[in-house]
Amino acid sequence: MTRDIWKHLILILGAIIVLAPFYMMLSYSFKSPGEIDRGTGGFFGAQEMMVDPRCVKLRDPNRDEIAAAAPQYPGRSDSEIRNAIMAQAEIDCSTRPVVFNYTKAFIEAPLLRYLLNGLIVTASIFFIQVLVALPAAYALAKLKFWGREAVFGLVLFCLLIPVHAIALPLYIMLAKVGLTNTYVALVVPWTISVFGIFLMRQFFMTVPDDLIDAARMDGMTELAIVWRVMLPTAIPALLAFAIFSIVAHWNDYFWPRIVVTGSRDLFTPPLGLREFKGDADGSFFGPMMATATIIVMPLIVAFLVAQRRFIEGITLSGMK
Amino acid sequence: MAGLSISSVTKRFGETEVLKGVTLDVADAEFVSLVGPSGCGKSTLLRIIAGLEDPTSGDIAIDGKAVTGTRAADRNLSMVFQSYALYPHLTVAENIAVPLRMRSLSAVQRLPLIGPFLPGAKEQRSEIATAVQSATEMLEIGPLLDRKPGQLSGGQRQRVALGRALVRDPAAFLLDEPLSNLDAKLRVQTRAEIAQLHRRLKATFIYVTHDQVEAMTMSDRIAVMMGGEILQCDAPSVIYEDPSNIRVAEFIGSPKINILPVELANTEMTLFGRVLGYITEAAQAGIYQLGLRPEALKLTQAAPVVTGTVAHMENLGSEVYAQIALANQTSRVTLRAAPAERRNLRLGAEVGLGFSLKDGLIFDADGKRQRRVEVAVTHEREVA
Repeated sequence: MTRDIWKHLILILGAIIVLAPFYMMLSYSFKSPGEIDRGTGGFFGAQEMMVDPRCVKLRDPNRDEIAAAAPQYPGRSDSEIRNAIMAQAEIDCSTRPVVFNYTKAFIEAPLLRYLLNGLIVTASIFFIQVLVALPAAYALAKLKFWGREAVFGLVLFCLLIPVHAIALPLYIMLAKVGLTNTYVALVVPWTISVFGIFLMRQFFMTVPDDLIDAARMDGMTELAIVWRVMLPTAIPALLAFAIFSIVAHWNDYFWPRIVVTGSRDLFTPPLGLREFKGDADGSFFGPMMATATIIVMPLIVAFLVAQRRFIEGITLSGMK
Repeated sequence: MAGLSISSVTKRFGETEVLKGVTLDVADAEFVSLVGPSGCGKSTLLRIIAGLEDPTSGDIAIDGKAVTGTRAADRNLSMVFQSYALYPHLTVAENIAVPLRMRSLSAVQRLPLIGPFLPGAKEQRSEIATAVQSATEMLEIGPLLDRKPGQLSGGQRQRVALGRALVRDPAAFLLDEPLSNLDAKLRVQTRAEIAQLHRRLKATFIYVTHDQVEAMTMSDRIAVMMGGEILQCDAPSVIYEDPSNIRVAEFIGSPKINILPVELANTEMTLFGRVLGYITEAAQAGIYQLGLRPEALKLTQAAPVVTGTVAHMENLGSEVYAQIALANQTSRVTLRAAPAERRNLRLGAEVGLGFSLKDGLIFDADGKRQRRVEVAVTHEREVA
């Protein structure tokens, strides 16, 4: 009984450590800049009307605009007219903090474009990874050929190479072929996933040989066996791999930051966060956290939907 | 449907020689069982016939055509696996249709979504559906067509596997211990069904099993394999009554055949010093082994050949098996007795046993059958 309590205490502590950044992110995405600075307002913030200083600044009238507005304010001096316009602007520019943060996220940065880029990049990476990993894993698990163990050893060895170690040569190669600032540069370096090959190979080892022999007797070619027999039986493992792959590349900041140097059109969602990295006038934590929330949301939703099968895949409970 | 011929096939896995030159001819529409203890190479031989494994040397011919280099799919053979090997993601109907789909539809016609609308695909698909229908009717699995293999019992899966094998009229059926995952009752039932199926399809069957009862009850011929060789290939009755090798005699028959040492010297054949018979023709003197089936031994009070005490009894209702510990010997013999004789058999009871020498099989010290010695001895007086 007491051991259970300890177990739960430790797990709860772990959960708090993991969840705390998400809590902060969500909370900041609701609050006004003042509340964030002062650390007040609890989780949701007070949601009092706030004025967007930039919006107001943009509506600061110049001399011509004051002159144009003069007929509406008969008998007022220019500074009085300006004050009136500014007062009106302040009313127009005041919003709830939550609305401010999330509209900023979409307007200030073309977030939809970034999300679309993220989708294109992660989906292409995953698709090609599967295209490569499944036949490779099948060969490593089920075909007998000279040097198979050595090849598998190389695959395992590749797992040890950190991405950052080869980033520079990769960048130089891409730059020489003139592929930087393209989708290709974002996708191609990731298309061969040794982790995927390894994971699928381990799963394929559990598939009975009889099933493959039966498929051969039924007239399937080796490639047909991969796509028509192995793929459908490996769905749980594939889902697990999908989560790993998609999470890694959706969240990747490092590689897109390297190969996307010019065009904002190619920005992936994490690069989009940089839009709110303040320069002289301080960071916009509210909109930044709102963007972050939007970026992680698809992943969380996907995980919740696929949760059960994902865990099945991780535990690699193959067929009996 | 076609005959099959296997000539001097050998197979090595690294250092171990699994098949040591196997030669076997299977006639069209014949049911041949490959039977032997585990590790004798029978499954390897079947896989070589199927094309799933390449022989180290030797040739396979189907219907007179050499197929040694041909891949499994192009040999037009069907195989039923011990584990059934059904595709877990397909329904029963789809499982059975796979071999037809892979053969009669082109790669494009098999594509999902657009495949069914391509020219010719519709007729092909309806032909496949008809073939699946008739196969399932034959096996009485009609109601299961929409289920997945995971929802079926062992016996039902076995039927689906059979259905997948027979849906496309193959040159021969290869069955790899198809009954060993079934419970005893179902096994007996399915055994009869497979034998009927064979008669009905008039197809060539090669059936691998370690179970001698399956081999005895279903086959036209049994090939007894041991240590990578076929020791004997004959009709079940011949294998049982007239084995050419002591290992065949010991493997086929349950309970096992009794082996007693006999000596041939001068003009007599003796067992434990007792004269069994006299030699009329010339025969090599020496130590031989006398094989006696349990049913060849008779309980007798008058002039028993050997005596012993009942050490163990198994009453099967229709018959009784008794193990008799021979007097002054370490060996035991097994006796089959009729239920009526049961009152003479009590644990520890002293019994006398007799037999007719013409029921005995004589093997030399290496286990080879010595028919000449049998002829030479059995013409003499009978002991009983």
